Amino acid sequence: MNHDDKLDRILRHDAATTRPGDEAFTRRVMGGLPPERRGARAWTTPALVMGSAALGSALAMALAPVPGGIVQAALDIAHLHMLTPAALTAIGIAAALLASAVVLAADPD
Amino acid sequence: MPEAPGAPPAPSDAELILAVVERDDRRAYAALVERHQGQVRSVLRRLTKGDAALADDLAQETFVLAWKSLRRFRFESRFSTWLYRIAFNAWQSEARRKRELPLDEAPGDDSAVLACEMPDIVARVDLERALGTLSDAERAAIAACYYADLSHEEAAAALGIPLGTVKTHVLRAKAKLRARLAARKEDP
Repeated sequence: MNHDDKLDRILRHDAATTRPGDEAFTRRVMGGLPPERRGARAWTTPALVMGSAALGSALAMALAPVPGGIVQAALDIAHLHMLTPAALTAIGIAAALLASAVVLAADPD
Repeated sequence: MPEAPGAPPAPSDAELILAVVERDDRRAYAALVERHQGQVRSVLRRLTKGDAALADDLAQETFVLAWKSLRRFRFESRFSTWLYRIAFNAWQSEARRKRELPLDEAPGDDSAVLACEMPDIVARVDLERALGTLSDAERAAIAACYYADLSHEEAAAALGIPLGTVKTHVLRAKAKLRARLAARKEDP
């Protein structure tokens, strides 16, 4: 008989017969897991970050030294006058918000 | 455990993993642990030369780490292969840490504990001792290919070494085991 076959058989037999039963091992592992995050939802963190960013953007827009503020920005963009100070500020803020959303969406944790 | 007739088929590993990742479902993870713990613990017992307590500690560490990293599992390999990679890393870290301690070399006699559960005690103890004489790398290759039942390719991925190295380790380990077991047989 091929020696390799015999050794293979011995090893496979040993592997099959020495496998331990559960013996409460699963319970031990489950007890060692990090605690459940009660009430936490997948959307709460992104919502908080996006909300803070939106609030900050609104404040920045309101306090920015741009004549006409958000109303002027909306009018400029509606008339395709993209290079006015108000329109540029609004576009910049929208881009920052979009970047935040992309970063949050890409983060699996 | 055998399925009862008419019972719905047990969910696959992939379904359980998705339940864990999407709903933080701990019961699904418990099912995964229950399904794989026997083989992971068996492999780790071989790697730790029969030290069942250490093997179980490392197995627990493996499953906790797997839980924390499960979102990064990309289904590019079998879940078990991925799990063994974590287990082998845990064992290697432990082995590295132990090598720094001077008292490490005292051989434990855990083979007796293992043997007492077996009908063919002598053969089992002989194999246990023979496996204990292999180098860490050779024992890891044997554990991966026989006790974890991985292919050479999967073993290479799990151990993080080239395929050719796995094959070399397995060949050398088997030559050593054959010689060792033959010598035992000749001893009265």
